Amino acid sequence: MGFSRYLLRRLGYALIVLFVIMSFNFAIFRLMPGDATKMIIDPMFTPEAIAELKRQFGLDDPPLVQYFKYVGNLFKFDLGLSFSTRRPVVNELKERLPNTMMLFLTSFTFTTIIGISVGVFTASRRGTFSDNFVTGAGLFTYAVPTFWIQLLLLMLFGYYIPILPIHGTMSAPPPDGFLLQFLDRIHHLILPAGSNVIVAFGSWALYTRNTMLEALGQDYIVTARAKGLPENTVLRHHALRSVLPPIVTLIFGALPGMVSGAVITETIFSWHGVGKYLMDAVMQQDYPAAQGAFYLIALAVVICNLAADIVYGIVDPRIRVGEGGAK
Amino acid sequence: MKLRRFLLPVAICLVLAMTYGSVTAGQVKCEPYGPQVDQIIMPIIKDSEAQLIAFNRGDIDVYPGLTRPADINVVKANPNAELTMNYGFHMFYLCYNMRREPLDADILRQAIAHVVDRDNIIQTLFEGYMLPLAAFVPPSSGFYKEDIPRFPYNPEEAKKILDKAGYTVDPATGIRIDPKTGKPLRKMTIFTPTYEVAPTSAELGKIIAEACQAINLPIEPEPMDFPVMLDKLDMAEFDMYMLAWSLSRIPTSLHNFFHSSNDVEAGYNRPGIRDAELDKILDELYYAPNEEVAKKAADEAQVILARRQPYTVLYSRPYMDAFRKDRFTGYVPMHGYGAANYTNKWTTLNIRPVRGKGGTLRWLLPEEPKVLNPCTASSAYEWEVLGRLYDGLMEINPETMEDIPWMAKSWEVGTWEPEPGKKGTVITWHLEKGIKWQDTTPFTSADIKFTIEYLRDNKVPRYISNVEHVVRVETPDEYTAKVYFANESYWHLYRAGGNFLPEWIWKDVKDYKTFEPWLEAHPEVPGLTKVVGHGPFILDQYKVGEYVRLKKNPIYWRLSK
Repeated sequence: MGFSRYLLRRLGYALIVLFVIMSFNFAIFRLMPGDATKMIIDPMFTPEAIAELKRQFGLDDPPLVQYFKYVGNLFKFDLGLSFSTRRPVVNELKERLPNTMMLFLTSFTFTTIIGISVGVFTASRRGTFSDNFVTGAGLFTYAVPTFWIQLLLLMLFGYYIPILPIHGTMSAPPPDGFLLQFLDRIHHLILPAGSNVIVAFGSWALYTRNTMLEALGQDYIVTARAKGLPENTVLRHHALRSVLPPIVTLIFGALPGMVSGAVITETIFSWHGVGKYLMDAVMQQDYPAAQGAFYLIALAVVICNLAADIVYGIVDPRIRVGEGGAK
Repeated sequence: MKLRRFLLPVAICLVLAMTYGSVTAGQVKCEPYGPQVDQIIMPIIKDSEAQLIAFNRGDIDVYPGLTRPADINVVKANPNAELTMNYGFHMFYLCYNMRREPLDADILRQAIAHVVDRDNIIQTLFEGYMLPLAAFVPPSSGFYKEDIPRFPYNPEEAKKILDKAGYTVDPATGIRIDPKTGKPLRKMTIFTPTYEVAPTSAELGKIIAEACQAINLPIEPEPMDFPVMLDKLDMAEFDMYMLAWSLSRIPTSLHNFFHSSNDVEAGYNRPGIRDAELDKILDELYYAPNEEVAKKAADEAQVILARRQPYTVLYSRPYMDAFRKDRFTGYVPMHGYGAANYTNKWTTLNIRPVRGKGGTLRWLLPEEPKVLNPCTASSAYEWEVLGRLYDGLMEINPETMEDIPWMAKSWEVGTWEPEPGKKGTVITWHLEKGIKWQDTTPFTSADIKFTIEYLRDNKVPRYISNVEHVVRVETPDEYTAKVYFANESYWHLYRAGGNFLPEWIWKDVKDYKTFEPWLEAHPEVPGLTKVVGHGPFILDQYKVGEYVRLKKNPIYWRLSK
């Protein structure tokens, strides 16, 4: 099978998945118990006011009509109006997405760099104190609840050693001047991103260490060492390179987090992001907001998976040949 | 000796500085003029731990609405903090389904009321930071009635009245026998939200169920998912449940909650009480032509409700607000609304720095305000911002809770004939002169007319109950507005004096739902948005997710002299 057919087939799968998700997305919130208007009305609302609210929300239409309207709007990337704010969901997501991406990309970059480096380092020093210490620390931070570590850091650097901001992405109000504003943003990023790195680096380190140890036991590593290559070269150019493909898969798998955000981090550090938005929308039964956020996440997952498939197809021809059977 | 000479003046300065702070805090005369600070910055901090840290380290000066006992204790331990506590309009209650046997029997509900140990519950679950409440109108309301039938904690009395009414204990099962059927009472449940969502409510359900079991009533707690619970309440598929209401100083909610016309699917009469005498009184209350009739009806309704116990009211959460007294003073505790609620105009006007004048006050916003459109704003966080940009026609006296003139220097409540033989209410507002919108346009009776008609014609849900009965608005002159209602009710007074919209901005707004006035610049006045009010502060900036900045309105009509 040629690359273009492989690509088309993958694209077709992606569209089907997206359509299924889209439909589930519509049905799941309406199947949930409860009434969306209940989260808005108070005892002073008259029956006329409640009926008007339902009409405005489009909840007085039959479900099938609601569904077709929903699908039609999605094609125009119109995610509707949030029930709770009456604002376009697209606008609300646009406000939050840059913050989520900034936090995610910073955390993710440092987590992967530190995690993979620590994994390689500990694999090369298997059984030593540093291996045990780093592995133990990684396991500990991975195992304890995220919010616990984050609250601990909040208390430590927010109160006992009050050197870091504890909420938001900027000072209120921010300083004047581009450079000062940039530094202010970095300052605000340290605690949430730092805590994310502490929480997540362990899993990357452990995964890399284990795959590296497996690779280090292979014949080609023995051969490389027998050839007298320096240990550093063996590690970086032979062992690490061979374990990179599964790590790349992991990276692609984690990328949709760029859109979905981290609910706990966003809540604890008052970070105005998509994760908290999604959680609030579900809690308030704000269908359009929740549907919009889920749709965005689903889109990100499908695109990242598609990208991973394409990259795999490029780097490993066996995959695209294997798709339709050997030719 | 040299050291002593140096230390003595330093010590005197320190003592003076400390005395100055403590003497000034909370000792400012409350005046109807202000504001006394140049700007308010409202940082948005959502996590409760972060809020506490921010207050204690001085990032915020006003920390409104404390609820968790642990946080309250921490704030109390801070020597720079002052905590104010006021009765609010919150009411936590146990509701019975009076449509179902055996809970249709008054005596059974009264017996359950006797086993509710409010003081112990408040001490155990809330460390004493709640106020016991048995009445159906909170004490902060002028319509609260103290002298009502009460069922104080007394399990022995509960047993006695049950025994007397024929609910004797079945020796075989240990459960009381229903005198109507001669069989042991069926198992009943108390619905509460889950421990994850509302731990104290769930625990309270368990405590009351155990207290009922102790007098041989087969009652079990049943925590459940909140939306599921609301569905079941709408369909009247419950025995008992526990929830809270946030009421207001106007007792018309009694009509919503207990009039038989509201005993319909998803209606607010969830206990399903149907009492002809009560209905008549509630109608008198809802359509009262004046305050005297309303007061009499509210009193009578409270007596009947207290006797019949469709709810057993348990407690009320007070407003607890913390202030940095080392930096600010002049905050005004107010029953019903606390010291830091937007409805409390007095704190907004009077709060000021302990030292110097003006300055920046940092006031916590615990959630995103999201929408600064007065037509669609629904959450308290949105009104925490908007409430400081607008003034009302009336205000509330913080001590007596009486209505006092504000933008209206006086008003009359009269009647007219919408059609022959029928009476309607007409409210006449006489406005103060010299009030200006923040963009310098004069505020006149035409603004009242425009707003009421805009809200009515556009069917804005939040205001439908306020304007649906308005027949017309007349403006005999710039400073007089007459609002005609199709029916007679004293409460129309509170329905015609809300937040007003500037006509020159709103007349072109086709869809109020999607209008985002805080994001659009004012067409003529630089620095203003299209959120234009006439209150003490101007919306200067809303940085989504970060903070809101309000600046002192330099043309406020009640600026300090």
